[in-house]
Amino acid sequence: MSALYDLNFFVKLACAFLVMFVAWLVPGWVYGLPLSVLAVVFLWAAKTPGFRAYLKGAVLLTLLVIASWTVNLLIQGMPVLAAVQVALGMAARLVTTTAAFYFVMETSSPGSILAACSALRLPPIVTLVLSLTFGMIPMLREDFERIADAQRARGMEIDAVSFPTRLRFALARGVPLLVQAIRTAHAISLSLSIYGFDLKRKRTTWRNVGLLVEPRFPLKEEKR
Amino acid sequence: MLDIRDLTVGFGGDAPVIADAGLSVGAGERLLVCGAAGSGKSTLLNVVAGIVPRLVAAPVFAGSVTFRGRPMAEFSRDDLFTAIASLAQNAEDQIWDLNVEDLIAFPLENRGVAKAAIRDRLQALLTEMELGALRGRRVLTLSGGERRMVAIAAALAAPPQLLVLDEPTTGLDPAARRRLVRLIGKLAGEVPALVMSEQDPAALETVVDRVALLSQGRLSAIRPAADLMPHQAPWIEAGILPPRRKSVPQRGFAAGNPLLTVGRIRTELKRADGRAVLEEVGFELKAGEVVGLIGRNGAGKTTLFQSILGLSKIREGSISIAGEKADGWTPARRARQVAYLPQNMRRILFNMTLTEEVAFAMTAKTGTPDAAVAEKARAMLAGYGLGALAEANPFSLSARQQALLGLACAEAASVRVAILDEPLLARDIEGRRLLDRFLDAMLSAGNAVMLISHDLELIDDVASRTLILEDGRIAFDGATREGWTSRAFRELGWPAPYANGRGEAA
Repeated sequence: MSALYDLNFFVKLACAFLVMFVAWLVPGWVYGLPLSVLAVVFLWAAKTPGFRAYLKGAVLLTLLVIASWTVNLLIQGMPVLAAVQVALGMAARLVTTTAAFYFVMETSSPGSILAACSALRLPPIVTLVLSLTFGMIPMLREDFERIADAQRARGMEIDAVSFPTRLRFALARGVPLLVQAIRTAHAISLSLSIYGFDLKRKRTTWRNVGLLVEPRFPLKEEKR
Repeated sequence: MLDIRDLTVGFGGDAPVIADAGLSVGAGERLLVCGAAGSGKSTLLNVVAGIVPRLVAAPVFAGSVTFRGRPMAEFSRDDLFTAIASLAQNAEDQIWDLNVEDLIAFPLENRGVAKAAIRDRLQALLTEMELGALRGRRVLTLSGGERRMVAIAAALAAPPQLLVLDEPTTGLDPAARRRLVRLIGKLAGEVPALVMSEQDPAALETVVDRVALLSQGRLSAIRPAADLMPHQAPWIEAGILPPRRKSVPQRGFAAGNPLLTVGRIRTELKRADGRAVLEEVGFELKAGEVVGLIGRNGAGKTTLFQSILGLSKIREGSISIAGEKADGWTPARRARQVAYLPQNMRRILFNMTLTEEVAFAMTAKTGTPDAAVAEKARAMLAGYGLGALAEANPFSLSARQQALLGLACAEAASVRVAILDEPLLARDIEGRRLLDRFLDAMLSAGNAVMLISHDLELIDDVASRTLILEDGRIAFDGATREGWTSRAFRELGWPAPYANGRGEAA
């Protein structure tokens, strides 16, 4: 799976957009549902980091979308079966789309995105925005999990409790997560300043970039 | 090269953090600034590095700071940070989620250096600093010591004219410390001037020319390092443990029943080569014991405490806490018996005031505590010198204050075992006093403490027994002072503590 992860960020992004277009263009749930299942199976087969967390989120998303769309369509007078089918199609589209972009996010490190952007000689502001957008989300997810571990390590029972209590504790992690996000933003800002990032100067990269982005620097003695 | 006169810096407190300080550093000079935690070292070094007030504003800032004959404020940001490279006391403050090679190459890539030149520099730094094994890993997944070495490599990537290192040896194992000292020794040709700070001057004494002592924001006259090192009084006056102090006799508590039994555990977490991070690790921690745990950076120390707390899964073996099998316990249930205090306390704080943090340790409940609990929490905070900060936000504290908060929480929680991971506050006199207070409180109540540290003098002073973790296995388990002559310790290649002598108190 390493080669899949090492695909150039822009290639992954293009594939994700393609999958999304297909998901939204295919008619109804008959095609949409198998496509979404395929997308989730791909995440599993590719051993995408955080797959279980994604799955939980996808199940929650699916239930919410089906419930809200079905209720909405029933109010508008649509027959039950037709309403459920439309809602199912919509949920399938969302799952396929989120799965495609989840793969891009989880397998593209900020460093590999920086490298892909720098190799294309993109303006520094574009490089920065892309790296932070796609790089920060996995970081925040990990911070969220780290805070949960901190709560466990301090004796807060968040495992052997009911689902509503677990959900309440998860929401309570918002404040420390916000504090951590601000700290991370500060660290990135300081790092950019002291390491010479300049919006007026195009970056270079140490990596060899093509269809794949070199993941690891080969030491000379290793090559021999 | 650098000239600072009449410098006063304040951040809104009653007294300025730095008051009327002056120093100069010429080409070819290496200055070491020593001071207790909270003495103002980081603020002073941030001024030297150009970070204060350029990137971090200070409400009170007076005096002149000139670099290469020009006021620092006249330099463009790019020119300034090309000429001056720095490492923050907490490396996490200046790194983000990049790979090891990305972080080291970051300053060169940002300045548009050609790929071939960047790769040559990467080759040189990774080899020189022995960081090859970390290639391809994310910086945020490294141990504290590994992370620090990578951040130092990044600071050296584009050789600066002035290098500023704030406590560079913090969290490094003795071998990494030795590599760093060797590197600094070699830098003379590449980096004209160097300013460093440390609480433990002994680590860097061979590579500095002059030393300034900082105490409560006031800088002493700068003296040649060789003159100052042998003396005791100036260091003690500055609140620092003297570099050539003798070892202190250990206080004895009779060992009682086992409180923590780690029974030949093998972890699910694996190393890059496919072996388990911990293999057949087994030991006991008894009531009344302080047990030291030492090992190289990356030996598996973090995974060990995570396994004890149930945060990392074990494939084989078992954990017993206070005589009961704890394998089926949730992490939270284990944590009510075993407190863990990481080096970076920010990782485990999540309440909004210090009082709430301590109250949470007592009750495992968030939110405003009832009056009786709050009163007890405030009393505990006062015992660790944090009484005036009881209603402050824990994230606004310094690293030292957060470490003290951790001790207060652990004592308040009435746990049976405390695991202290590199308690950096123990490097100055007041910090050591408060750590001793904590150890006394724990041991006299019949509890036990595990101390994970690279500070071998601290281990020698307080741990009656020491474990050496090497390559995922316990390579030594025995009396601390016998450990320094053991085969396992010799294989680490580290210098034994107190090479200058034993048996006398500092």
